[in-house]
Amino acid sequence: MLDIRVENLRKEFGSIVAVDDLTITFPAGSTTCLLGPSGCGKTTLMRMIAGLETPTRGEVYFGDRCVTKLSTRARNIGMVFQYPVVYRGSNVRENIELPLRAEKLSKAEIDRRIEEVVELLEMRHAVNASIEELDNGTRQKVAVARAVARRPQIILFDEPITNVDISSKLQLKRALKELVTRLKQTILYVTHDQTEAMTLADQIALMKDGRIVQYAPPRELYDRPNDVFGGWFLGNPGMNFIANFVDGNQPGAFLNPLFVRPLRLNGTAAGPLTLGVRPEHVRVYPDARPDAVRARVLGRAIVVGGQHLVTLQIADFVLKAKVAADVGRTLMQEAWVHLPLDRITLFGADGHKPDVALHYAVDHQSLHPTP
Amino acid sequence: MQSTRARTTVYYLILWLVAILFFLPVFWILMASFKTPNDILAVPPKFIFQPTLSNILDMLSRPNTVPYFINSLYLSITSVSLAIVVSFLAAYALSRYKFRATNFLMFLILSTRMVPAAAFVVPIFQMFNAFQWRNQFGVLMLYTMFSIPFSLWILKGFIDGVSTRYDETGFVNGASRLHVMFRVVLPQVRPGLIAAFIFNLIFVWNEFLLNFILGGPGTQMIPYALAVGLVSAGGNIDWAFVASLSTGYVLLPTIMIFLFQKYLLVGMTFGTVRGEV
Repeated sequence: MLDIRVENLRKEFGSIVAVDDLTITFPAGSTTCLLGPSGCGKTTLMRMIAGLETPTRGEVYFGDRCVTKLSTRARNIGMVFQYPVVYRGSNVRENIELPLRAEKLSKAEIDRRIEEVVELLEMRHAVNASIEELDNGTRQKVAVARAVARRPQIILFDEPITNVDISSKLQLKRALKELVTRLKQTILYVTHDQTEAMTLADQIALMKDGRIVQYAPPRELYDRPNDVFGGWFLGNPGMNFIANFVDGNQPGAFLNPLFVRPLRLNGTAAGPLTLGVRPEHVRVYPDARPDAVRARVLGRAIVVGGQHLVTLQIADFVLKAKVAADVGRTLMQEAWVHLPLDRITLFGADGHKPDVALHYAVDHQSLHPTP
Repeated sequence: MQSTRARTTVYYLILWLVAILFFLPVFWILMASFKTPNDILAVPPKFIFQPTLSNILDMLSRPNTVPYFINSLYLSITSVSLAIVVSFLAAYALSRYKFRATNFLMFLILSTRMVPAAAFVVPIFQMFNAFQWRNQFGVLMLYTMFSIPFSLWILKGFIDGVSTRYDETGFVNGASRLHVMFRVVLPQVRPGLIAAFIFNLIFVWNEFLLNFILGGPGTQMIPYALAVGLVSAGGNIDWAFVASLSTGYVLLPTIMIFLFQKYLLVGMTFGTVRGEV
């Protein structure tokens, strides 16, 4: 198994910089998702790794081997595209078989591999079906099977689920999850869909404007975004941001209407800081509590999973909070809100996370100083 | 409901009338090939008659008839097949490597078919004389050349319709360019190949002028035979011969068109009306 390493990789299309001097390693034997909005350069990055696009400069390595100059064919990869590419006028087996036959494998070996992938993708029943009979979801499975059956060193997926109808999306996603867990292969998966990335990835490279903003396991990326973009892009809805929450050079304790007790910054940063907190991390209570501040309920909506999305106003700040249905129903005009400090992220003026942390000015530890 | 059905009936009635009107001469020729020379020109026309195979047997027994048929088959099928191979390669290149002036080049290639044959037959005659190409090979090359523009246009339309993702999927699956062309793209454009084949086959099959002027004994085809055999030794038109030869002559195109008529429309529109093929 090989890892994928790109060094100072850059791609320009005219005056547009699609991929901006990237250096990163995608580890062997695990699934990495390239996640980002349309036009962030994730597909271009993948196409350069596949050899379908020539980099403006920079190098691509598979393991120790530099493949920048190699043709796509010589790179021994498998790739699945956004639109299911299937060969019409032939059946599923022939579709999977075609590249295997070109490799001059023995009949027995071809049969064994086809057996293996149709098993893996649970499409045994469709093996002899003609491509014309299949829906897009199954066609995409055929394309996946064809890529996997060759046993390439590296498998690339370019938004394979995007153009599949809703009904088969979930099924295909589940099949892919099953596939990536069982293959334990070096897999690179491009998507703009965060739930897809969260489900499938061992680690996510969050991309924006040709750069990787954050590269972390899904949970960490979600809970600890190190950039405003990560907070905003992930989650539905994304983070609540309170701009100008505090000056980064504030040395002493300060009070903020969102918190019952005075706060203090541990460390300093330049300029004003923005507070970020995810809606599902905001704790909302129907009754007064000593650690919660009073909020006015501006509106509510029911979102996926029966949860309630509540819009709250505290002093001049407006926050969105995701609460369980039973809590959501009991909320009237007023609610009590607590923001757990360990769920809060501070962002600097440049959007990045500075090296500061938020504490209560008088916390448990300072009351009982360790000797 | 009632009026829709009435309209459909009238619509089909007119269609049938027009179709029969157009088919009448063909029908007359077909019937004539089974009539005795006296019955052919009988007034009023004889619809009930004793069919005879003597016309067809006479036609086939004439010394050059079988070679004419062989020439027709050989020249049309070979030249069109060659043209399709060349056109497919060219169409793939023009579709995938979009160099500058591709459209202009496509226009130039098609423009060779915009001049009527009568206008260029003399220069071609001179050229072929100079090259000493007035033989089967020369005529074969000429027909191949004249079959390329339409084939190229049809096939380029089709290959443009095959996403480059197909090529790329081939490459990432370890295929060579040739494998991609012939094993991946070619099966996708099969309807285009059939359309181009039939379309040009009919052209070559019907071609008379160039064949008549440039050709020699090795190249003469059925249209030539029809023209030459039209008048019998006595100065009369030999209807029996013309009818039976024509019947044999329309057989191949008729079968082809009947089998592949859905592709023919695609050919006539250069693959732009592609629908679900």
